Amino acid sequence: MQGKGLLVGLAVTLKHFFGKKETVQYPEEKIPMTEAFRGGKLLLDEKKCISCKLCAMACPNTALDLTVEIDENKKRHMKNYIHKAGRCLYCNFCVEACPVDALSWDKNYENSCYYRENLTYDAVENNRKDEKNG
Amino acid sequence: MIQTESYKLSMGPVHPSTHGVLQVWLTLDGERILRADPCMGYLHRGIEKLLEKRTYFQCLPYTDRLDYVSAMNNNLGYCSAVEKLAQIEVPKRAQYIRVIMAELNRIASHMIFIGSLAVDLGATTGMIYPFRDRERILDIFNELCGARMTYSYIRIGGVKSDLAVKVISMIDDFLAKLTDMIDEYNDLLTGNEIFQYRLKNTSILTAKQAMELGITGPMLRASGVSYDLRKDNTYCSYEDFDFSIPLGEKGDNWDRYIVRLKEMSESAKIIKQALAGLPTGEFMAKVPKVLKPPKGEVYDVTEGPRGEVGYHIVSDGSAKPYRVHIRRPSFINLQALDIMCRGYLVGDVVAAMSTIDPIMGEVDC
Ligand code: SF4
Ligand code: SF4
Repeated sequence: MQGKGLLVGLAVTLKHFFGKKETVQYPEEKIPMTEAFRGGKLLLDEKKCISCKLCAMACPNTALDLTVEIDENKKRHMKNYIHKAGRCLYCNFCVEACPVDALSWDKNYENSCYYRENLTYDAVENNRKDEKNG
Repeated sequence: MIQTESYKLSMGPVHPSTHGVLQVWLTLDGERILRADPCMGYLHRGIEKLLEKRTYFQCLPYTDRLDYVSAMNNNLGYCSAVEKLAQIEVPKRAQYIRVIMAELNRIASHMIFIGSLAVDLGATTGMIYPFRDRERILDIFNELCGARMTYSYIRIGGVKSDLAVKVISMIDDFLAKLTDMIDEYNDLLTGNEIFQYRLKNTSILTAKQAMELGITGPMLRASGVSYDLRKDNTYCSYEDFDFSIPLGEKGDNWDRYIVRLKEMSESAKIIKQALAGLPTGEFMAKVPKVLKPPKGEVYDVTEGPRGEVGYHIVSDGSAKPYRVHIRRPSFINLQALDIMCRGYLVGDVVAAMSTIDPIMGEVDC
């Protein structure tokens, strides 16, 4: 019968019309990110970091710009840990390259911004800000 | 006597049904198409050149960005080419995991195909369902490697991480629902008369034409040529699995749709077998920290959702490839657009373009 296929299709739509909703009401409702999720900003654990720069060496797109300082006791410190998120491929290679697991993602996916410069941030500076704010 | 003249119409690059940024120059005689010239390059990023400046490991994330709808298959193609070049033996477990992921990605890619074909033909509802179901696969990948699109999961020598129990149960869950999903597409689209009128006997590509143009993948199989690298040039333990290759008869739009629809069930079969027979052992081979393959070159092919994905890598013995050339199936398949459109109507261009299923990231590279 001509038009039967259309009716069958319509029945599918009707069935779902009264069924469970697939969508979530973002931003009121947010889907939690998975354990392995890579995205957002890089968090640097300065206590663990040994300033070896292996992360920057693993980066395919030179998105990491690190400055290491040597203090009077010949100890190496990470002075700036600049992540140019605009260049980042979110490949996770930096996190995997770190021998002491000092890196992780903050998993905040709402990281769009108006200006390109705002994509670049300093993970060390972010740590200071966090300390100040408790 | 009325004087008539052919005229040119530019379709795209900003057009909802050009799958990205493809421009097509149509030469028309009224509504009939005399010629269709695809004009590409709007998404060119020079990936082949970029790869020359990166180590073999660092090249991997760039392959994600070729065919972003089936990144796993691109990862697989690149890794198996490098492994062949550096003579790395991949553990059996890793091979099985690779097969599972590549096939899941094939299903996801074909879902995108069905969805975009539907929306291109004006059936917006038909788009929503496959996209919703594809999301389930992306959830699996997100759980597995932390990304929905650019996975970088398959690595040189194996895979990034082992299959967690949760991921396996998610895959099982998905496979159990797949038959229902495909039934739903059949109800919504396959049986729909308008859909059939639009696709049957339009844009016919004969087997001879397809072979002359070097078309591969489902498009070639829709023309009736049985050529699938998973069977004809087995890699990655595909010989262990029992599956068939769906073929079309005429090579019209309808056949291209049906072949892909059937391929989804075949992929599901492969995944089920791979999960049931998943060997124990390592998921990563021993790969040196600095990989310097011996001087020489290699060309290795795998079967992506769109056809033959080939990587030609030339090594000069250093840690970076001297030259990488990528055979991108979408790029070559798109060349058939002209033949497929000639003599048909403007409305059929959209359907033809859709059944070629090009991904512009791959076309432009
Ligand atoms: S995720 Fe990849 S691209 Fe981004 S900073 Fe880390 S290594 Fe570099
Ligand atoms: S690899 Fe780890 S320890 Fe080394 S500099 Fe980077 S974050 Fe610090």
